[in-house]
This record gives sequence, structure tokens and C-alpha cells, in this order.
Amino acid sequence: MTALRSIDVSKVFEDGFTALADITLSIEPGEFVTLLGPSGCGKTTLLKIFAGFYEPTTGRIEQDGKDVTNAPPEKRDTAMCFQSYALFPHLSVAENIEFGPKQNKVNRDERLTRLNDLLRQVDLEQHRHKLPNKLSGGQQQRVALARALAMRPSVVLFDEPLSNLDAKLRESVRREIRGLQREFGFTAIYVTHDQSEALAMSDRVVVLNGGRIEQIGAPEEVYQRPDTAFVADFIGSANLLPFQRVDDHVVETALGRLTVSGPPDDAAGFLCWRPEHAEYGVTEGDNVVNAAVSELAYQGSYTDLHISPPGVPDQRLHWPGPASGVSDQVTFRLPPEHIRFVRGKLG
Amino acid sequence: MNWRRTLLIIALLTPGLGVIVIMIGSVFYVAVMQSFGFYNLVGEESFSLEHWQKVLDSKQFSRALRYSAYIATVAAIGSVTLAYPIAIWLRRPFRGSLVISALLKAPLFVPGLVASFLFLNVIAFHGIVNQFMMWIGVTDAPIRLQNDRGAWGVVFLQLWKNMPFALLLLTGAVQSISDEVLDAARDLGAGSFARFRKIIAPLTVQAMQAALIIIFIGAAGDFAFQVTAGPTNVQSMAQYMVFLKDSFGRWNQAAVVGVSLMVLALCGSLVLAVLSRALLRSGNRW
Repeated sequence: MTALRSIDVSKVFEDGFTALADITLSIEPGEFVTLLGPSGCGKTTLLKIFAGFYEPTTGRIEQDGKDVTNAPPEKRDTAMCFQSYALFPHLSVAENIEFGPKQNKVNRDERLTRLNDLLRQVDLEQHRHKLPNKLSGGQQQRVALARALAMRPSVVLFDEPLSNLDAKLRESVRREIRGLQREFGFTAIYVTHDQSEALAMSDRVVVLNGGRIEQIGAPEEVYQRPDTAFVADFIGSANLLPFQRVDDHVVETALGRLTVSGPPDDAAGFLCWRPEHAEYGVTEGDNVVNAAVSELAYQGSYTDLHISPPGVPDQRLHWPGPASGVSDQVTFRLPPEHIRFVRGKLG
Repeated sequence: MNWRRTLLIIALLTPGLGVIVIMIGSVFYVAVMQSFGFYNLVGEESFSLEHWQKVLDSKQFSRALRYSAYIATVAAIGSVTLAYPIAIWLRRPFRGSLVISALLKAPLFVPGLVASFLFLNVIAFHGIVNQFMMWIGVTDAPIRLQNDRGAWGVVFLQLWKNMPFALLLLTGAVQSISDEVLDAARDLGAGSFARFRKIIAPLTVQAMQAALIIIFIGAAGDFAFQVTAGPTNVQSMAQYMVFLKDSFGRWNQAAVVGVSLMVLALCGSLVLAVLSRALLRSGNRW
């Protein structure tokens, strides 16, 4: 039985804006699923529909096989971690954590056990009597997480919980969330626009664009085998090139004729390749490209090179070394197995 | 901060604050001194407790004190109670919400005395209510609604006049609570009333206290509503004060009532402020 399921869910707001269209998604118990997409793609709307804050315009939501489409948030077995933490500013850390269990009439002993366990787990025992405004952003986020977990929900919904934290703290809280999810075994639905967060934390990633699902898959799958130009471009940096089919294994592009591992579905379309897949030091054979470097930027572990084939967007390469080692011309090879055809186009 | 700086700040504040302190302080000083036999308009001036004794012994005074305290408490609590749900309703803008909000605040622009006369037109013998009741056959002849003994007319006018003021203060406070905080409470199992009791009320307690205090003080000193629409068997403190001054020029006794009214306003405000905070604290502890 699925933990949570949306069936043909659409959401059209009063102003006529369609935030979601025909979203069907099944989430298994104990799974960590990330809803990934740019601002306005509908990911938070879908999360709020799961939480019960919004009712879908059409479609339905099932939790553990039961229809909960019209159930209010307080009647659902879900708990939410908000982007702004949404801690109650007039209540102490301990009172915030106890709020849910008290509302749900959990007896005092059980409440205190949960409180003490959670304070220990999120390392906030010494802050239990403090008000939220006396805590750092990371500590507030941990209180919000503990408050959600105190409800012992089977599904925890995270709405961009790390977006207000600095990069270093984000990584440690990210590990903490994943650790607690494994320990408690709850199902997690995590909304973010940060692809690195999505790739690092998730069992599955759901890529959303314009209110529709572009692709669902394991992090490696959506990264290595993007189905659409949007997914290729949004997750990691990908180079997109228009192509014309020559035969089953050869296509014509702005970089020249390229050998591909499989036949394209269409006579023309887009292919993508990732900068890190380019091979350097190969000067002969198939798919060897020689191009002028138009721009370069040192990134520490590699140098970002731009080449500008005529009539197509800049193509990027990750040169494995410092910028000083790059000449005006670069020669590289695109392995056929790393060239992938994608549906749709950019923009 | 050294003494020079302190003096400079006091000097800078003097033109504004000084005038306020002198104006209020002088009125308070004269009233208190007059209640003890000084600043007599006629006769000798000397310290005396006689005026206090006479007023405190009078049944009329204790009735007026109880009546004014009752009206002020009902007006303060009633206005805040009515204003809260409306403030919560208007928290998120919707089509027409601005118009509704403006209409609800309209009584703020109507002077109290004018409101009383408008109200009399509605409830008088020849007023709209009586005419309507006779027209639909509920009564054969007009009934007495004006100057009712239960002071319902005054209570109605107080609520009509003060609710918009409470609404003005509470709307801003309620709107300052983020959606996510209320959503979080809902998500954690709090229904509408629990959200109000445990989140909205504690987070808006300062606005609530301000509304309670200001309305209490205003209603405790009410004169206009009382003389036009109030019961005739009891006087408000302000009405009793004017009565003492007008009948045989008992200025010193009027001053006693005036000082008592100020004490009532102060004590009542403090009690309401402390009580509201204490109630919310106990509410949070369950």
C-alpha cells in the first residue's frame, strides 16, 4: 500500500492560474521523495495539497489507501516543516515541541518522553526553555523538525526547509534530516529548487515544470538519463544541441557529425551531453571536436570553458585543471554513450 | 549616559512632554486638592475629609460607581470580543474586504452625542422599531425602549462606537501573524478555537490590552450616551459629577467623584490588562 498518492490532481487558483495539471504520483512508505523545480512550478502547491492546506480543483489524494482529499490538515497523519520554520514565537522550545502532542491529547508521560528524546536527538537539550528568537537559524530549523516529529506522523512534508540557512549549515542540517528520516522511518516529501539537495537526499526525485511532472526517477537516473531538455538543463549543467538525423547512429549538429549509441526517435530534435563527460587529449576518431574557447572561469577543482558554435547556445566544458593550462583552442571527444536524446526544447 | 546628556534629552523633550505633563498634572492636581477642600470657588479654603466622607456615604455614588464600572467593563470586553472574529475574517484580503472594513470603521467618525440621537430616533415611541413592531402586529401600542433600566441602549451604543476602534487595533496585530505560523498550528492539530486561544490571542495580547484599556477609560467616563439613552434610575459617574456641580455648586464633592472616576479608570484598566495576560498564560499551560 502506498503511503501517499495523488491521482490526476489539478489546481487552478481563483485568478485562473493553473498551478498543477494532472499530477499522479505514488509515494511508498519510508521513501524520501523530493519535488524539484524552479519557482512557480507547483511544487509547494502540491505539498500543501498533500498537507491539506489546499483542496485540489480536480483529482484526489489518498493516504494509506484512504481518501483524504477533503480532510483538513489537523485530521491528516502528516506534519509539515515550513520554509520560515513557523515556530510559535511566544512559546519556548519545549512548548513548541509539545504543542502537537498536547493538541492530540497525548498523555503527559508520553509527551515528556517524546520531548526529551527529540531534544536529545536534535541536540537542543540546553535550549529547551529558550524562546525561538534566541536561537540561530539552524537551531530553529531543528526545533521545527522536532516539533513535526513529536506528532509521530507517518509522512513529514518539508517546504524548502534549508533555504534560509548558509551553505555550510545547510549541509549539516540536510544530513541530520536524512539521518532522522532513516531512524524514525517516516515517509518524507521534500520540496526544493536546489538540485544538489535533491540529488544528495532523495530516494526519488520528481522534477516539476509549469505544473506538470517532467520526470520521476532515482537521483542517478534523472541526472544521467534526463528525459527532457528541461530536466537536462535544470539538473546539473547540460549542453543542449539541436540535431538532424543522418542515420540510426549518426546525427548532424553545430559541433559537426556525431556518432550516437542509439537511434533518435525523431528526425530532428535536441540532444544533450554533460560537460564532465567530455574526454580531453583525444585528437582522432569519432566525435572529436575542435573549437575556439570564448570564455573561461576558474572554479577551483576545474575550469569552466565556453565554446560558441554558430547558431546554438554556448556549450560548456569542465577542463580538469587551472585556467592557465587552457589555450585558445580546445579539442575534446564526446563519447557516444554519454550523448542522450531529449524531448522538448529549452524555454 | 552622563548627567549632561540626560539633561539635554530632558530639555529636548520638555516642549512636547512638558506641556502634556503640565496639562494633565495640573488638572489632576486641582481635582485632588479640590476634593480635600482647596481651590474653593466660594467660602474658606482648608484641608477637609468631609467631602470624601459625604460622597462615599452616598448611595447614589456607590450606584454610579458600580454602574460606570459595569458599563466600562461590558463595553471594553464586548467590543474586543466582537472585533476579534471580524479582524480574523478580514485578515486576508478578499473582494470587497476594503469596503467592509471601511464601513465597519464608520462609527469612529460619528460623534457620540450624534450617535445617541440617531439611536433615539430608532427606539423612541415614534421610532422605527416601534412603528415596525406595530406594523407587523407584534404590539398594539408603542412600548418603552428608550432609557431602559437594564442600560441595554447604552451598552449597544458603547459597542457600536467602540468596536470599530478595537477592530482598528486588532486588525493590524492579527495581520502581522504569518500564514505559516497559523498553518503550523493547524497542521499540529489545532482547530479554529485552539488556534485563536493558543496562537492568535497571545500574539496580539498587546493590541488587545490597548483596546481594553482605552475603551474602558472612555466608557467609564461616558456622559453623552448616558444622558440621552441611559436609564433614569441610575447615574453614571460623569453624570453624577455634573449633577453635584449643578445642584448647589458642590464643586468639592464633584471633585471627589472626578478623582474617583480617574481611580476607577486606572484600576479597571490595570485589572483588565493583567487579567487578559494571566488568562492567556494559563490558556497556554492548559
